Amino acid sequence: MKRLLSLVGTLVLSAGLAGTALADLTVAVPNGSEGDGLRAAAVDYSKLKGVKIEIVQAPYSNLFERAATAASTRSGVFDIVLMDDPWIPFFAENGFLVELGPFFKGIGTDGPDNDFLSKSVALCRNPYNTGPYICLPYVGNAQLFFYDPEQYASVGFPDGPRTWDDVLTASTELTGDGSSRKYGYTMRAAEGNPVVADFMPIFWSFGATLFDADRKVSLQTPEALQAVKMFLALAKVAPPGVESFGADEVGTAIAQGSAYSAINWPNWVATFEDPAQSRVVGKIANVKMPDGTSAGSSEIGHWTMGISIDSKNKQEAFDFMVWATSAEQVKISALRGNPPVRFSVFTDTELTSQEQYRHYPTLMQAINFSTPRPRHPQWPEIENAFGRELSAAVAGRISAEEALDRSQKAIEAIIAR
Amino acid sequence: MTDTTPATPLDPLAPLGKIKEFNPTRQRIKKWLVFAVIGFALFYTLFPVYWLFLNSFKTRLDMFATPAIWLLDAPTLYNYVQTFVERPFLRFMFNSLVVAVGTTILALVFGTMAGFALARFDYPGRAKYHVSFWILSTRMMPPIVTIIPLFLFFAFVNLLNTKTALVIAYTGFNLPFVIWMMKGYFQELPRELEESAMVDGDTRLGAFIRVLIPLARPGLAATAIFTLILSWNEFLFALIITETQTSNTLPIGIAGRITQYKTEWGEISAAGFASCIPIIIFAFIVQKHLVRGLSFGAVKG
Amino acid sequence: MDDSASTATVGDTPAPSFIGERLERWVETHLRYIMLAPAVLILAALTLFPTFYMFTLSFQKFNPAVDVPNEWVGLGNFARLLTDEKFHNALGNTLFFTGAAVGIEFVLGLSFALLVDKYIRRLNFIKTILMLPMMLPPVAVAITWKLIYQPQFGVLNDFLFRLGLPTGVWTSGADSAMWAIIFVDIWEWTPFIFLMMLAGIASLPEEPYEAADLDGASAWQKFRDLTWPFLRPVVTIALLLRLMDALRLFDQVFILTRGGPASVTETLSLYIFRVALRFQDIGYAAAMSLFVLFSTIVLSTWFIRRMQMDDSKA
Repeated sequence: MKRLLSLVGTLVLSAGLAGTALADLTVAVPNGSEGDGLRAAAVDYSKLKGVKIEIVQAPYSNLFERAATAASTRSGVFDIVLMDDPWIPFFAENGFLVELGPFFKGIGTDGPDNDFLSKSVALCRNPYNTGPYICLPYVGNAQLFFYDPEQYASVGFPDGPRTWDDVLTASTELTGDGSSRKYGYTMRAAEGNPVVADFMPIFWSFGATLFDADRKVSLQTPEALQAVKMFLALAKVAPPGVESFGADEVGTAIAQGSAYSAINWPNWVATFEDPAQSRVVGKIANVKMPDGTSAGSSEIGHWTMGISIDSKNKQEAFDFMVWATSAEQVKISALRGNPPVRFSVFTDTELTSQEQYRHYPTLMQAINFSTPRPRHPQWPEIENAFGRELSAAVAGRISAEEALDRSQKAIEAIIAR
Repeated sequence: MTDTTPATPLDPLAPLGKIKEFNPTRQRIKKWLVFAVIGFALFYTLFPVYWLFLNSFKTRLDMFATPAIWLLDAPTLYNYVQTFVERPFLRFMFNSLVVAVGTTILALVFGTMAGFALARFDYPGRAKYHVSFWILSTRMMPPIVTIIPLFLFFAFVNLLNTKTALVIAYTGFNLPFVIWMMKGYFQELPRELEESAMVDGDTRLGAFIRVLIPLARPGLAATAIFTLILSWNEFLFALIITETQTSNTLPIGIAGRITQYKTEWGEISAAGFASCIPIIIFAFIVQKHLVRGLSFGAVKG
Repeated sequence: MDDSASTATVGDTPAPSFIGERLERWVETHLRYIMLAPAVLILAALTLFPTFYMFTLSFQKFNPAVDVPNEWVGLGNFARLLTDEKFHNALGNTLFFTGAAVGIEFVLGLSFALLVDKYIRRLNFIKTILMLPMMLPPVAVAITWKLIYQPQFGVLNDFLFRLGLPTGVWTSGADSAMWAIIFVDIWEWTPFIFLMMLAGIASLPEEPYEAADLDGASAWQKFRDLTWPFLRPVVTIALLLRLMDALRLFDQVFILTRGGPASVTETLSLYIFRVALRFQDIGYAAAMSLFVLFSTIVLSTWFIRRMQMDDSKA
């Protein structure tokens, strides 16, 4: 049977209909600026080193599914996967990633050099910050708090909001009864990844954590309840319909000047400053997260590169990764619109003197004060369960207490399985 | 619209209503009512298409303007340039075309053959009923989970990331529809047609090719257009099987413009609008067969 | 359609060679199998392995980890179906969606077809125009509706606002989100039902109606006794195809609502997609798929029997 199938396959192949060009390396990346950046870098690398690299782009919301399917079926389709950092535990703990230690030894070092931000490198070790290196950071994202200083000044916050209480007070005033169709605050509350991504910074800034020191789910705490209540209060002063909003709706509302503050990813800076896409050019400030009862912390969201255990060209893959994350290349990547992961690039005056990189100091500070999403191989499922209850709470179907109780039970069940 | 106002009074409810006394006022009201209904249905159908068209020529700023901009105010080609010049959407379109045409031809050839067999031949026992039902039931499988074994299957025969794999898979997805449509169609054609050809010395196969196929043209046209649409727009399977520009189809390219941070609404609208043009052209070519072909008994007219 | 087919024996063409004649005779006697074979083989290749794979996996706990074998759990995955609230929610949503969407599409499609039959039949271009919603790529369709429904910038609320009417949150409301999605489906697929029905009506014979008129039958009687029985085969096919597609609704929800708010629009397809590919819990996803496959087959069998599409009629 196998021979017959192979024969048929060969026949069709030779008929010329098929034809995957044989590449030395196949890299899976998301659509969007990270993938575009790495694609451009791969072209440069091919010219330089003669290594043929094939870039496979998938929509962001499907890249994990594709990479996970390719890995768990042991197909060896991809040599390198550009991973969003919350996926790292899944790939690492299921043994899909090659440990990089021996390869670093080969080039005479113990690990990534210390020009990389420490928070960025910590992500690439599993367990977090202590385990062996299994990837290299490529794009450095952390959420920022965006707001319109003029509007905040008009309601008595000339220095901007310091705490989430300030945000709520100012936004309540700015939104008023909603008849002006301008809103003080807007948020991502669509079920799934968006609502969780928007909630986590508030959650952390009230001192809550998803897992306690013993890796037990710890959602039924006063801190967590305070955070959910703040989130729901903010939802009340946000535009009607946030229940289906993602990053795009939130960014668009700010860019159109219909909302005055929100959490979002730094990639939006470029849009806010582009007159063809924004009515608020030069008006939007970005800062690190406001405080709650403890210090504000933003959510880190890095793109990192790891080598598949089934890759046939691991050394070539490693060489490419080291090259692509070198200071020179990370700067080129920054020029292509991707936030860097290196101190030297964040502080490069050639960049920071330009308008579209003016947020780099803030962003570096945000990364240094960031928190990673809870590190668990089943994070996609945990995030889904948590997002389900948060969405129900924002939609008014359940109370804050119920949302936490139900999330606690759901996440416990997932982990126990 | 001229031919909708014939000299004789028209009764839109002809198969239903019985007009005992002829009442011109009532007729006129009824006619206008029918036109109002058609008008509303057309508006409901076309407005979202118009909105898509409009958005494809708008800047992001105008797309989200308050109040909304309802007319083509300051059209820009930016979105079309971004998709078809800056990004390989022409390549995606070419791939989609190859896959959709290949699928349509294969599905129609094999489906018509099988439809004919099931309409005309006898098989032992209840085999015919079981085979027909089994064919239909292959469409009932939830696609999500079959994706994983099919991914393994195509990896095994070395066809991942090829248009061939898509053609094979889509042919399979479309066969049940084609077979059931053509089976119904052939059942309505009188057997005497082939029998007289066979009396003239033709073989059964010859009679099928020379007599029945030409008669079935309307059915083939209507079935073809649905096969074409389905394989042109399929998303989930292409997502897992295709990897690079050698096989990525349009729906994959379009979905790729929804990124983690931002949705490129204008580019998606431009690609979406451009994407339906080839199908519209085909639909206009075969339109005289369209409605006739969807019906099993319509051939006798 | 080419008349010069190689099998031609018509008239005074020279006698075919011995081998050609034997081959031809062999083809002729086995035609019933030859004609059926390609389709059956393709379908078998594409479905037997996946079904077998799915069946085997449904009794296992799939473990994605390298070098860790799957664990056999017997009927464990099926037992989970009974207690999984998310599955029940998704099942309920899918059935509600299917019933409402296909039901409304059918009623609208059939009544429009009956109403405008005589007018539309001559206006071919209208039929083509009506197919536009089906021709657009589903992702572009969903994106367009997302823009229309958008609460702040959407054209629907803009329209209502201009008229001084109350605006809505459509896909964002826990009470309205499912209806917003049903509305999109109706927009996309009513034309399909409409065209199928129009075709069926176009082929109705005239004599029985004339006879019924002589007997003084009412419009409803004629519909019940003549139109409906004649239309039944078309109705069956149209409804079966729509039912099967509606039960696997994915694209619209994936883009419009992601299953929210409060999971009111999470469909079976979306849930199985997440469980299988995002959570990599493939064994459980296989069990759910088998359940869906089995229920669809039962439902369709019942439906086909009811509509008497059994071969006995053909």
